[in-house]
Amino acid sequence: MQDKAFFKDMALQGAEDFKSGRLGRRDFLILCAVIGAAPFAVAAGDAEAAANEIVLWNWGGDAVKCHTDSFGAPFSKETGLGFRIDTSGPLQGKIKEMVESKHVTADVADADAFDAIALGKSGHLEPIDYSVVDKNKVLEGFAWEHGVSIIFYGYAFMYDTEKFKDNPPTTWADFFNTRDYPGKRSLYKWANGAIEGALMADGVAKDQVYPCDLDRALDKIKSIKEDSFYWGSGSAAQQMIVNGEVSMGMVWLNRAKIVEADTNGRYRLNMNQAIAMPGAYIVPKGNPAGRANVMKFIASCQTPERQIDLFRCHGMTPANPAAFAMIPDDLKRFAVTSEENLSRVLLNDPEWWAENGGEAVNKYLDAIS
Amino acid sequence: MRLPGTDRRLDAYWLLVAPLLVLVAVFFAWPVLNILLISVTEPAPGLGNYEKLITSASLGRILRTTLRICLLTTVMSVAVGYLIAYTMVHLGGRERAWMLALMLLSFWVSVLVRAFSWLTLLGRNGLINAMLTGSGLVDEPVAFVRNETGVLIGMVHYMIPYAVLPLLANMQGIDQRIMDASRSLGAGPLHGFLRIYLPLSAPGLVAASLLVFIISLGFYVTPALLGGGRVLMVAEYISVQVLVTVQWGVASMLATLVLASVFGLLFVLSRVMSISELFGARA
Repeated sequence: MQDKAFFKDMALQGAEDFKSGRLGRRDFLILCAVIGAAPFAVAAGDAEAAANEIVLWNWGGDAVKCHTDSFGAPFSKETGLGFRIDTSGPLQGKIKEMVESKHVTADVADADAFDAIALGKSGHLEPIDYSVVDKNKVLEGFAWEHGVSIIFYGYAFMYDTEKFKDNPPTTWADFFNTRDYPGKRSLYKWANGAIEGALMADGVAKDQVYPCDLDRALDKIKSIKEDSFYWGSGSAAQQMIVNGEVSMGMVWLNRAKIVEADTNGRYRLNMNQAIAMPGAYIVPKGNPAGRANVMKFIASCQTPERQIDLFRCHGMTPANPAAFAMIPDDLKRFAVTSEENLSRVLLNDPEWWAENGGEAVNKYLDAIS
Repeated sequence: MRLPGTDRRLDAYWLLVAPLLVLVAVFFAWPVLNILLISVTEPAPGLGNYEKLITSASLGRILRTTLRICLLTTVMSVAVGYLIAYTMVHLGGRERAWMLALMLLSFWVSVLVRAFSWLTLLGRNGLINAMLTGSGLVDEPVAFVRNETGVLIGMVHYMIPYAVLPLLANMQGIDQRIMDASRSLGAGPLHGFLRIYLPLSAPGLVAASLLVFIISLGFYVTPALLGGGRVLMVAEYISVQVLVTVQWGVASMLATLVLASVFGLLFVLSRVMSISELFGARA
């Protein structure tokens, strides 16, 4: 660790000397070879720039434009710090690998609450600085030691209004009922949402869903296995519905508006018993921009106007209670925290998923394949 | 017992090769070994992860699925590839060039583009099903994709160029006059093919099968997309263990298994034929 900083310093000093002519080119190259740095990387002077920008790590696609416009641009204007997005997707394994190899390239990751709890426990995350980030700007109970909710997303299903126009399905029990509602189904491939949906379909009351009875849920899921497809990405879920391959499909809520538009309203979203997933902004230990800057950024994302902006662009529901009332009327249907939906949804329990997620995913994969 | 002086010539050649060996060892072998060691160090030192191979029914199922699909893919790809290569070898220059060009063109299409194209073509409301249901041939759309059939279609389509190229290389080395000679000695076309051409093309067959099988073992994207989530193969499972469930020990153990199987396969084959000839180096 010490060596790295020392070498970096030596390299920078060498670059400055080279630029000003004190160090001959040959000597500079030898210096770089000794340190092990590529000459051009150092001479370009980029070594210091990394600390002056915030890198948000998310899943790409529309999220890039939406997060840049809603969060990044206003933040850069306010503070003068740069803003960049890394779209490779902050999965737990990647964060763990990054922190352990001491090569952290992102400052804040747009991940799940259960990531915040699991990775926080294993020591891979920076604790959130609640003197800068405001706990009151988050829905009660969704500010954890190592992560804070900026948005909610969720799982719900969309159904074919043409096929089921007489008695539209309203509950997960209807989703899992292939006798009265014939046709194919689609579920998320990696267990989130599907487990809770299956339990509710099997008659478990909303407040009894956690801790999840995995075997009971998997039995239910296996019962419609023949008619099910499983998707691993939002675009695959969208494609299955738009191509008419399923008559009821589980989706991420932020896709629902787009799918309704793409199918000319034929497929409609059902928010009853939707599973609301708290997102969490988490900071990998040793992030390049430093603790102070990244906490400033996260605090700036709590601004209600910016969260509403993001919701309008991307479909991710705000987590700041002050923003709930600001949700535009025509979009209230799609927001998991709007007043009409807040009582109907099931709030995901990140503690249970942090503990049992790995086992749940493996058992689920075993059941569906 | 070797006298010290007799190996002198061999020493010089080893010195020439040594820098390359060191490069491979340091930048390739050592990092790969590091990863494979995780299988015996996480979550606790020991062979616990390998025990899971015997105790876990799901792991067994995934491995059997992978094996089954890879074998089927290999058989089908090599069969079709053989036909294509045979045709190409017996055609004249221009037709052969065209066939080669078309095949290479499809070779260069990305695997992701192919997968989504297959979904569009063969999906429930895709082109093929629209034709079939529209013309009245079938009542319900046929399930071509989002199941094992779709996976096999996608994989065979991807593997055919890999099968054709070694076969082509081998067949081009077979002297056409041998077939003429066999005819003049009284062998009918079928007899000549079975007794002479096929055995001569055997090295090509083995090389093609080996190549296709080994590549199929690592296939991730095609089964994930075309299988509808229902065809879980070992590569995708390893990826899930590394990224989502963070069970690096199991992931590394499976990776070691796949790597060991490939080496084992090569070893068994080396007993039967000359591996260096298989990969192009003449003895």
